[in-house]
Amino acid sequence: MHSTAPLAVADGLFSIDGGAVRLVGTRCLSCNSAYFPQTVSCRNPDCRDKNIEECRLSPKGVLYSWTRQQYQPPTPFRMDDWKPYLIGLVDLPEGLRVLGMLDMGEEEAAIGMAVRVECLALHADSDGATRHTYCFVPADQPEPQP
Amino acid sequence: MRPVRVIGAAAHRWGKFADRSSLQMAIATLGDALDDAGIAWRDLQGLVAASSRFEGGMGWGLHANEIVQAAGEHGIACVNVGGACAAGAVGFHTACGMIASGQADIVAVIGAEKMPRGFIPRPPGSQDDIHDGDYVRWVAMGATNPAYWAIEARRRMHDYGTTRTIMAKAAVSMRENGARNPRARFQTATSAEEVLASPTVSDPLHLLEVCAVSDGAAALILASEERARQLGAFPIHAAGYGIGTGLFGDPAIRVPTVAATPREGIGHTSELLQAVDRAFAMAGIERSDVDLIEIADNSTWQILAWPEMLGLAAPGQMDWLVEQGEIAPEGKLPVNPSGGFLSFGEATTAQALLQICECVWQLRGQADKRQVPDPKVAMSAVLGLGANGGSVILTR
Repeated sequence: MHSTAPLAVADGLFSIDGGAVRLVGTRCLSCNSAYFPQTVSCRNPDCRDKNIEECRLSPKGVLYSWTRQQYQPPTPFRMDDWKPYLIGLVDLPEGLRVLGMLDMGEEEAAIGMAVRVECLALHADSDGATRHTYCFVPADQPEPQP
Repeated sequence: MRPVRVIGAAAHRWGKFADRSSLQMAIATLGDALDDAGIAWRDLQGLVAASSRFEGGMGWGLHANEIVQAAGEHGIACVNVGGACAAGAVGFHTACGMIASGQADIVAVIGAEKMPRGFIPRPPGSQDDIHDGDYVRWVAMGATNPAYWAIEARRRMHDYGTTRTIMAKAAVSMRENGARNPRARFQTATSAEEVLASPTVSDPLHLLEVCAVSDGAAALILASEERARQLGAFPIHAAGYGIGTGLFGDPAIRVPTVAATPREGIGHTSELLQAVDRAFAMAGIERSDVDLIEIADNSTWQILAWPEMLGLAAPGQMDWLVEQGEIAPEGKLPVNPSGGFLSFGEATTAQALLQICECVWQLRGQADKRQVPDPKVAMSAVLGLGANGGSVILTR
């Protein structure tokens, strides 16, 4: 689907590894906590060393809840051909609950469903390059071929 | 620590006031609070201001200094506190501490706010930083604040079978109270049908289930027990006051972050639980002693969820209490007799102080048509950006 690696709306938000989208987070090597987005330290008050490194998060999770956002958000959000869309909260196996857009129909969205991370075109920059964000899709939706 | 009493309370009307600055609103409201306490500007020994990000404070959050320079130069201690939507509670806590420690005998606390219209946007001049959850929530998904509350609301519908009608009835209850409050911005009652027919903001929440943003100002005058007695003030005791921040492992997805790190055994919106537990411990009273609560109803979800989170109702019980009308002033658990954020709209730094003002008026028996019958214990609870929680328990 992607002939070249899609550009993210923010550097360091997600990566494309061999065609597969992965959220980029931070893992604490001292206490094994995972964070998203990348963080400057480990928030665990019982962790003294806070030895952190960049990591790729699990691509699969479970939908905790969701909403349909009906009004256009203010800048810096940008979306070409804006229309109401879904935002969901997804439990990842690392003990992380992550907020993100859902690329699926409202009739598909269901609390407890298995989802996986993908990327989604949001808007074209002034130079014509398309910027992408991460999103979640039904886990049983076929993965794009690299 | 010395006991602290509340000897004065005043609030501006809430609304949109294009021709009045936040400083003008502050001076008028503080003046009303001084009158209510029966004291003069010169009697104040300290002023604590909840600092706004939107207007005033000379661009440095110096709202207390701005007020005394404009209206009462007599050398007093000025303290300016941040806390976003919880700033008023943090300010109240700070002012109580100044009296409890013996540093001062009479201190005022004020919040005066003028809000920009619409969704609260990202602060101007903020850096595009991948480590900043607020940056990511805007660029990556455009998650407005109501989207967060809507996600919680849908989960509650899933967990407890809460219906859209029950949520609408919670809004109806707030607006019924607001219709009896001359300071509310929205003073008309509404019906569940009208709530459900209002435009969807973030499904399942409708426009009439989400708080607007308003201009407003509220102030309280606090005094030592001895000074309060000398002034012959109605005895309202600041029996408990607590502030707190979040716990690692809190399952709540907190505005404006984009991820939580849930861990077993950690309560939802833990900053609020910290503050409330501290207020109860200080007051030395039980949950069952509380006669009314003023909580931050940013949406109808909070009206249902917060009393349960705070241990004032059993999990899932609020649906029934709302259905039966038991959150009305004459009900079993009066919630927001003021009319709440849904009737006022949120004027961030002033909002927590308005809650405390309402508690004072209720305990004094001055709440007119929205009066809770003979209350002895009133409690406020508020939440602010940065995982700030604040709670105040007043008694008479």
